[in-house]
Amino acid sequence: MADVTTNSPRLILTDTNFRLWLPLLWIGVIAAAALLAPLIAPHDPLAQDLMLERLPPFFMDGSEPGYWLGTDSLGRDVLSRIIYGARIALFVSLIAATTTGIFGSALGLIAGFYGGWADRVISRLVDIWMAFPPVLFAVLLVAVMGTGLGSVIAAIALIDWTRFARVIRAETMVQARMDYVDSARIGGARRAATLVSEILPNVMPSIIALLMLEMGIAVIVEAILSFVNLSISSDDPTWGSMIAEGRGAIHFAWWVLLFPLIALFMTVLSFSTLGEGLKQRFDPVLK
Amino acid sequence: MTSTTAHTHTLDIINLNIALPRGQRLLRNVSLQLEPGEVRALVGESGAGKSMIGKAVLGILPHKIKMTEGEILLEGAHLNAMTPATRRRTVAKMSALIPQDPLTALNPVRKIGPQITDPLIRIHGWSHQRALARARELLDRVHIRAPDRVMHSYPHELSGGMRQRILIAAAFAPSPRLIVADEPTTALDVTVQKQILRLIRELQRETGTAVLFVTHDMGVVAKISQKVTVLFAGRVIEDAATHTVFENPAHPYTQALIAATPTPNVSARPFQPVPSALIAELHRDTVAADALFAQRGRR
Repeated sequence: MADVTTNSPRLILTDTNFRLWLPLLWIGVIAAAALLAPLIAPHDPLAQDLMLERLPPFFMDGSEPGYWLGTDSLGRDVLSRIIYGARIALFVSLIAATTTGIFGSALGLIAGFYGGWADRVISRLVDIWMAFPPVLFAVLLVAVMGTGLGSVIAAIALIDWTRFARVIRAETMVQARMDYVDSARIGGARRAATLVSEILPNVMPSIIALLMLEMGIAVIVEAILSFVNLSISSDDPTWGSMIAEGRGAIHFAWWVLLFPLIALFMTVLSFSTLGEGLKQRFDPVLK
Repeated sequence: MTSTTAHTHTLDIINLNIALPRGQRLLRNVSLQLEPGEVRALVGESGAGKSMIGKAVLGILPHKIKMTEGEILLEGAHLNAMTPATRRRTVAKMSALIPQDPLTALNPVRKIGPQITDPLIRIHGWSHQRALARARELLDRVHIRAPDRVMHSYPHELSGGMRQRILIAAAFAPSPRLIVADEPTTALDVTVQKQILRLIRELQRETGTAVLFVTHDMGVVAKISQKVTVLFAGRVIEDAATHTVFENPAHPYTQALIAATPTPNVSARPFQPVPSALIAELHRDTVAADALFAQRGRR
């Protein structure tokens, strides 16, 4: 992690900068956009104007001032829709990843720490769960539960808890065998208490890294479900539905597809990179 | 140190048997006593069950390994008769462990300070201030130069020798009646070993704590203990005062162990390994004893 090429490491892209600050910057921008959407969006994301359909972005001929990233086939402003779409994307990723993380990590900790029956039941459940193709499973779940934000979040948590359970179980097993757990028990700590006070802090960096990864995945899953029109109502602007709508017009209005795609791509990339960066930052051993 | 009545041993292990779930025996009718303030060495080759004894006393036997028979008395109190919670508190109050591997015995993500003071506050009910002062005092006692800075460090910032000294300080901090030292010098450099042994010896004398010192090194035994228990394949084959064992070992295996201790002057006395015929004979004895034990169990 030391910088070899220059003696002013603060200005260049060191590993930490790249893995921590760059993704944080992008997520900060997206989060600000989501929070301040009504203030900064230049137009109403739902306002249609058929006179202004498929306007190109600002750097091309025929663009209209005020419509920075152009308009879609119904004359809606792409930039405003991306900004409002960030609200849904971030909300879903935050709630869904946290739910998934708490649920999956708890099961992983229990399986890895207690072993025996608990481990056998949870591990088999993970195996069975992972045999389902995740996207089909998500589509199925939402189809059964009905569309809506709650269903999307529930679907993500129900599908992806195995990611946490598997990784955290393995890490817990390693940590549970360490001498410091025995030392804590000789020091009078209850067995269950050592799980919380000794082992959990040691697996926390992994949980955080997975949480970030999961946020990225949640954004993708939400986009996939919007793409097939199974997320929230099709009126609301989501990145997935924008991509779906832009697909048909790609040959003559590529911007309708490309800009939400970039937003999606950058957000997912930022989350997964941030996970690694945070893990490095908060693990005292790696640091 | 107010000593208890003459008949109360600090530790009294009677006929201890430990086995794997399928019945393979790890300890076979092990009995041993520790008087207050005594250091007893527990020697034997790897797999002889030395560490298992300490773990059984402290209640940290690995999952699935169970005590099948026997009694453990700590300061006259029957540990087996207690509920798990009472047992845990009793053991925590009266005993401590100096572990084998200082690199894994401290939690890597927690600072040193709380790892020493936690049991003092939780089990012994000390105030935070008092626990801190005691930790500082003990760290100073084990020659840690800047106790306050060290207590704010993470384990990975310290050397192996320092961590072992911290663990010794932590073990002696509550002035326990019994300390189990599980090969505390094995993972360390030879130069550090001597210093660690001296520290344990000094602190043991000052506090009057009884120490069960698990080791496979006869040289260490001679330096630190008053009594020796020699273990082979989970059986006690000799139990005597240290000087008796060195001057006049009774069992052929003990004789061979002492003869196998390397000396600096190799040309004067070449290295003599424990004869394999003797080991084979002892294993045959063990198998025969197990067969008898199994028969008795069936009847």
